[in-house]
Amino acid sequence: MKRRRFIQTLAAAPALAVPATSTADAQQTGGPGGAQRPQANAPNLEISPPDAAAETMPRFFTALQFSALRRLSDILMPPLNGLPGALDAGAPEFLDFLIGASPAERQQVYKVGLDTLNAQSRRRFGKSYADITADQAVELLAPLKRPWTYDPPADPLERFLKDARQDVRTATTNSQEYATAETPGGGRRRGGVGQYWYPID
Amino acid sequence: MINTEYDVLIIGSGASGGMAAYTLTQKGVKCLLLEAGPSIDFQRQRGLKPVYELPYRGFGKPGRLSHVLQANEFNANQWVDEAEAPYTHDPREPYNWVRVRMIGGKSLFWARMSYRLSDYEFKAKDHDGFGDNWPISYADLAPFYDRVEPIFRVSGRKEGLAQLPDGNFVDDTSPDAGALKRFGAAGQSRGMTVTKIRRSLGDGQFASSYNLLLPPAQATGNLTIVSNAVVREITTDKKTGLANGVNFVDRQSGRELHARAKVIVLGASCLESTRILLNSKIANSSGVLGRYLHDQFYISNGVIAIVPEAKDGKAPRGLMGGAGYVPRFRNMKTKEKNFLRGYAFDIYTGGTPDAKYYPSWGEELNRMIESHRGASIGTTIMGEVLPRYENHVRLDPKVRDAWGIPVLNFQCRYTDNEFNMAKDAVTTISEVCAEAGFEVLNGNDKMFPPGYSIHELGTCRMGANPKTSVLNKWNQCHDVKNLFVVDGSSFVTGGTQNPTLTIMSLSMRASEYLAEQLRKGDL
Repeated sequence: MKRRRFIQTLAAAPALAVPATSTADAQQTGGPGGAQRPQANAPNLEISPPDAAAETMPRFFTALQFSALRRLSDILMPPLNGLPGALDAGAPEFLDFLIGASPAERQQVYKVGLDTLNAQSRRRFGKSYADITADQAVELLAPLKRPWTYDPPADPLERFLKDARQDVRTATTNSQEYATAETPGGGRRRGGVGQYWYPID
Repeated sequence: MINTEYDVLIIGSGASGGMAAYTLTQKGVKCLLLEAGPSIDFQRQRGLKPVYELPYRGFGKPGRLSHVLQANEFNANQWVDEAEAPYTHDPREPYNWVRVRMIGGKSLFWARMSYRLSDYEFKAKDHDGFGDNWPISYADLAPFYDRVEPIFRVSGRKEGLAQLPDGNFVDDTSPDAGALKRFGAAGQSRGMTVTKIRRSLGDGQFASSYNLLLPPAQATGNLTIVSNAVVREITTDKKTGLANGVNFVDRQSGRELHARAKVIVLGASCLESTRILLNSKIANSSGVLGRYLHDQFYISNGVIAIVPEAKDGKAPRGLMGGAGYVPRFRNMKTKEKNFLRGYAFDIYTGGTPDAKYYPSWGEELNRMIESHRGASIGTTIMGEVLPRYENHVRLDPKVRDAWGIPVLNFQCRYTDNEFNMAKDAVTTISEVCAEAGFEVLNGNDKMFPPGYSIHELGTCRMGANPKTSVLNKWNQCHDVKNLFVVDGSSFVTGGTQNPTLTIMSLSMRASEYLAEQLRKGDL
């Protein structure tokens, strides 16, 4: 299912509506200055997050890097047990934005990692990572079998894969798609609701 | 124009400054309290939001608060903005300085762990020959612990341990989880004791100076609080050398102001207090102001293990749930070969390990995590860091904050004593886990950078000798007798215990002494 269609399907289901603490509610009750507004006269507009109406435009990675990231994301976090996978949640597109806005060191980890993944794929299977078979794609993830260490791994591919595994999971489980599909009351790290601090004057 | 001279001007509204205000105002002392941050209206300043509504989907703005590993996108605005209030260090030797500027300070957000120090800390040099003793003993501070604990409603269980003196507790009679008992039994031969976590209950919502210290202080009619007051320097009388007030900047407008007082109490937090003294060019005839910076090294999830009987949601009732605390057990009756002092650790049961610890992905990873859901044992290791002269802060001659005030430069690193201790901790805890029948999933002996624990201590230490210390045994400055420093900067050595309870007890003790000196006309 295309991601836009997936979101529209979720939005159409009444039982899966946006939680009570929508942006509009927060502006009227929780946000700085909100309590001073005459609530009786304030219109109660329903505001949607942008992902409900639009898709992120990838801008940072090259087309080849991005195709590898999409393939990798799908393998790392496929749809499971009725919950959306990384592609349903737009995780690769979100990571393109996030990594593009990140410090140079983190950008390098991703760029070098994706380039290495594509290079190894070509060398061993004659195709880019997005185009090899599922078994071949999994074979290249062998560095993920190594134990976790506090210090980042010296091998650039291992470092990238371990970062990506965490980031893809977080980008997926913190998405609106995931929160809406999950049972209500999920924790903060699973698309749930948390106590947000507004900027302090 | 207002030109009041207060009896005492207190800098900082957190645990130490708040306790000074609480103690002094009840003795009839007129106090002015300056806080660098704003007063928070929690109803307006916080609100519930789903994580997907956050601009960065919970990752946080890249590059923001890179030193604050505790920060996330929900709470990012509660920490000091490092762009506005920077500090510097060698990039190869990071220091994670975690700060809060608002009425109540870090006491709004602390973990509330409330442990007493013992003479293993106050008289540490007597025990192992390293460093210096405090100029006070446990017996000097015990009466003040006795009085601070009821204010904060510290829960705990009396254990009768010399290294972790019992307190004036709200009795914790909850049963220990079966997994904790098994761990305790396995660790007994190594001298380990699993105690209850000792925690300040406060009023439930807060256990802070914000709700427990400042309201009763203000109710006396003796306390004036000014927020958004960023202190530039303490001013002194050129003839007497005594402190006579404070120059500060209004945080929002940049307006420069001066407040007058007979006595100054610094409780701005360990390193902010030292920074103010360095910027004031006072209190450093010893040359040790800024020196002996120490804390406790922290390793989160130093050892993660799985309780086999709890896998797949099959834990029998009472096996999992709750946490314990194992106080220091090294270098007490025996002597370790490759490190001095010791470590403590929290041990918590019933969690689920993070995905990063599994050598897998996709469906298989999910299966593994689900199998271990609620079945894990986790540990946070807290090791004593030796106070060393070499570890210090100084003013950076080139960098200033948003108000033009010189910032701190950090020169701080851990040494083999800490590294060896961390290795011993992970090895020993792993062995005990195995003996208890747990499956060790991961062991990590790499600690976070210095500062991470938010237990920065020293840099303005107490001592009997004015040539080697900044403060006397009453937290009173050797050089400037109407200046007191009542926060963690006064520590001589820190042990493994969370320091806030000790900071507040020292502040209460110093403030009572100060009030008595004022009454007698000696200040």
